[in-house]
Amino acid sequence: MSELAIAPPKHPSALKRYVSIARMALQQTLAYRGTTLATVLILFLWIAILFSFWNSAYAGREEIAGYTHRDMRTYILLAYAINALVGWRVARGMMGRIRTGEIVIDMVRPLNYRTTQLAIAAGGGVIEGCISFGIAIGLGLLFFDIRPPDSPLAAGLFIFSVLLGFVTKVLVVFLISLLTFWTLQGVGIMWAQGSVIAILSGTLVPLALLPGWIRVVAEVLPLRGIVATPVSIYIGTADGLALAGLLALQLAWLAALWWVTDRAWLRAFRAVEIQGG
Amino acid sequence: MPDSEPIIRASGLTKRFRRAVRPPGLRGALKHLVRPRYETLTAVDAIDLTIHPGESVAYVGPNGAGKSTTIKLLTGILVPSEGEVSVRGIAPWQHRIDNAFNMGVVFGQRTQLWWDIPVVESFRLLGDIYQLDAATYIRTFDDLVEVLDLQPLLAVPARQLSLGQRMRCDLAASLIHSPPILYLDEPSIGLDVSVKARFREFIRAMHRERGLTVMLTSHDLGDIEELCERMVMIDKGHIVYDGALTEITNRFGWERTLALTLSDPTPDADTIATGALDGRSGVRVTQPTDTTLTITYDGRIVTSGELIRDLAISVPMTDVDIQEPSAESIIRHLYEGTLRFDDAPGSDA
Ligand SMILES: Nc1ncnc2c1ncn2[C@@H]1O[C@H](COP(=O)(O)OP(=O)(O)OP(=O)(O)O)[C@@H](O)[C@H]1O
Ligand SMILES: [Mg+2]
Repeated sequence: MSELAIAPPKHPSALKRYVSIARMALQQTLAYRGTTLATVLILFLWIAILFSFWNSAYAGREEIAGYTHRDMRTYILLAYAINALVGWRVARGMMGRIRTGEIVIDMVRPLNYRTTQLAIAAGGGVIEGCISFGIAIGLGLLFFDIRPPDSPLAAGLFIFSVLLGFVTKVLVVFLISLLTFWTLQGVGIMWAQGSVIAILSGTLVPLALLPGWIRVVAEVLPLRGIVATPVSIYIGTADGLALAGLLALQLAWLAALWWVTDRAWLRAFRAVEIQGG
Repeated sequence: MPDSEPIIRASGLTKRFRRAVRPPGLRGALKHLVRPRYETLTAVDAIDLTIHPGESVAYVGPNGAGKSTTIKLLTGILVPSEGEVSVRGIAPWQHRIDNAFNMGVVFGQRTQLWWDIPVVESFRLLGDIYQLDAATYIRTFDDLVEVLDLQPLLAVPARQLSLGQRMRCDLAASLIHSPPILYLDEPSIGLDVSVKARFREFIRAMHRERGLTVMLTSHDLGDIEELCERMVMIDKGHIVYDGALTEITNRFGWERTLALTLSDPTPDADTIATGALDGRSGVRVTQPTDTTLTITYDGRIVTSGELIRDLAISVPMTDVDIQEPSAESIIRHLYEGTLRFDDAPGSDA
């Protein structure tokens, strides 16, 4: 009867719910810290390969595309550390819930689904971040002589930009995961998105080294905001007006993605069905 | 009760699914890629349903009848293809989030608890999600912990719970925000007898004492009989009965059963009986054991006297038991797909 009803608050302090969800996701990820650690370590295997590749590329050269050897080592280490955020567990989680129909459980709650997924990724990201930056900074300082940030301001903006990039990546992965509603097959999409993000975000090589048109595409797409933008702020390849432009691009894309993910979610939700009865 | 405003109202509510028709094998898969073909399946077909606050409704029907689909439409997680639906005055699919505050739901085969963290943390998170203030939360929580005896389970991660334990926790989780409506989709699936009894008792208490509106789908006759005064039967997406559970015999009660005990073991008694009753319509003969014979017939077409007369000559019987249909047998027939909704020719039904 009506006295049982809890009237939904008119302006719910929505943030608190999502903070609680993030906290929960953090605990969940802690339960899987072994897996997370393994995933991050495997990513760092790539670093070893790239380091030896760049060692020979820099033999007898001062600079490649404006990067000194030390810049390049710094770039790679940071790029991989950043790209370890929002790992495959997040993508698999989002797709899996749709494929198996577990998503009904999220949808019977008074929650925005997209924001819920963001909160879950954020909770996990704290652990991923601690592990991957811990390793990157440890390795970098002990063995690879990486350079410090260009300036204190660059350091601050770097962190800010990493956070923006984090949200960008979550939204992109979220958008891709919605495809599962139609294909119901996550694995192929998951691997494909991993590689595409690695290339177009500038994780594999700095964007300046990408060939011709791919470079043009990468420079306008939001994916550069995930890795290339924060790292170039740290190294100082972008400063002044260029830096402001990059941050503006990052923010603009973020706003666009925020809107697009909401629309796409509504479309997916209306067009297709929840699996399993 | 029925003079209050309905809490759930559906009219002409329809849900169609589009399903890919994929021929088997690799060739089929390729064919589907080139020219995909789809078929439309109407899972819920123009149903009308009105439920008043404080009612408890059993929603029954065979596998694939459309029960879960209806629940999903009412919870707002599916968008209707056609028709109207409103729960407490709002369309669930348009206002999914507002609607979520008004309901609790248990899906028997899925848990809403977070898998890897202690149960108590799941509850706390739900308290935050539903924005309960600390005092309200603690009151409801303590209450639920007590009646469902959850104390020993609180520190355990959900994945380590047994099915019955998990169901108790899930039930509590669905009621932590004291919703006015509770949907239960096959809540007692796989539970043992004693857990089932406790579970029913709890639902009954919530329903009687707090006026909780309950809508329950179940394949368990006990759940239905003990929990619900009203029954809605659905078959192939259509509602075929909506009324009191006790009234169901009036609607479908024409199906009677004659149980014969034979004097000697006669393995082929069913063949003999079928021969003897040849030409009578609406009669079905089965032989559960060598010495018993079961004959189902339509009480509107033929009387038990006529059948016994026909059989007495050819089948050696020592005892005859005429069984009036129970609500239970009718529901069982519904689930077996053998319940007939047609009206017999020349019947006065
Ligand atoms: N996501 C979906 N896509 C396509 N068809 C679906 C989907 N979900 C359900 N169906 C179909 O709709 C029909 C009704 O399904 P529903 O789950 O509502 O049945 P049910 O009455 O709950 O059955 P059960 O007793 O087995 O749980 C079934 O034929 C089912 O195959
Ligand atoms: Mg079902």
